[in-house]
Amino acid sequence: MQRDLIIKWFFAHPPEKVWECLTDPELVNQWLMKNDFEPVVGHKFRFHTKPIPKMSFDGVVYCEVLEIIPNQKLVYTWKGGPEPGIIGLDTLLTWTLYPEADGTKLVLEHTGFKGFKNFIASVFMESGWKKGIARRFGKVLGEMK
Amino acid sequence: MRNVLDPFQAIADPSRRQILMMLTKDKQSINSLAGNFEMSRPAVSKHVRVLYEAGLIQIKDQGRERLCELRQDGFDDIKNWLIFFDQFWKEKLQNLEQLLNQRININEND
Repeated sequence: MQRDLIIKWFFAHPPEKVWECLTDPELVNQWLMKNDFEPVVGHKFRFHTKPIPKMSFDGVVYCEVLEIIPNQKLVYTWKGGPEPGIIGLDTLLTWTLYPEADGTKLVLEHTGFKGFKNFIASVFMESGWKKGIARRFGKVLGEMK
Repeated sequence: MRNVLDPFQAIADPSRRQILMMLTKDKQSINSLAGNFEMSRPAVSKHVRVLYEAGLIQIKDQGRERLCELRQDGFDDIKNWLIFFDQFWKEKLQNLEQLLNQRININEND
């Protein structure tokens, strides 16, 4: 089971405008990262940003477009690692747009952190994580199937 | 110690999750861990190594035994990834919102 980050956002703009910003490489560059995206299923592209050594990330995100429904849904892989050829983070991004009376609701799902269904929920729902880590982690592992 | 393996990858394997589970009770030697599995000791040892390289456990020599125990910092790494992306996307979506607002103004001035 895979279900990780889900972020919801409202824009006071119609879905067509939001879609343009998600799929025009120059616009994506302005708000997200430098990229060579093309709105074509199967297209492989990259994002380039600053490396984060302590997170074992060299600054390159490797992506492949998996699904496109204009003005509604965009899905691509999101992979990265400490150096070329080594992928530590193998995840999936799903952008879904819902038209609303006065704008657009965007749902961003960042999923695929394998095997972490309840672990993630647990991390976000509870503070004081450091206390009783062994017991809590055991509980989470037990629930993870 | 430098993490060479992504903790998410390390934990994707059921046997490795089982090993972590056993270590939540107490530290254990590789031999005593291996006693719980049908696979060979070298196979268990290999899993232990993956967990070690992902920074999820630490291994201490005690006499002739190698004792494995959970490493708290390793779990913090996982937490850091999640917190990182949560913040990352919220920042980026704020950028996107600003960009959309700017573009409206540009269009209106045309």
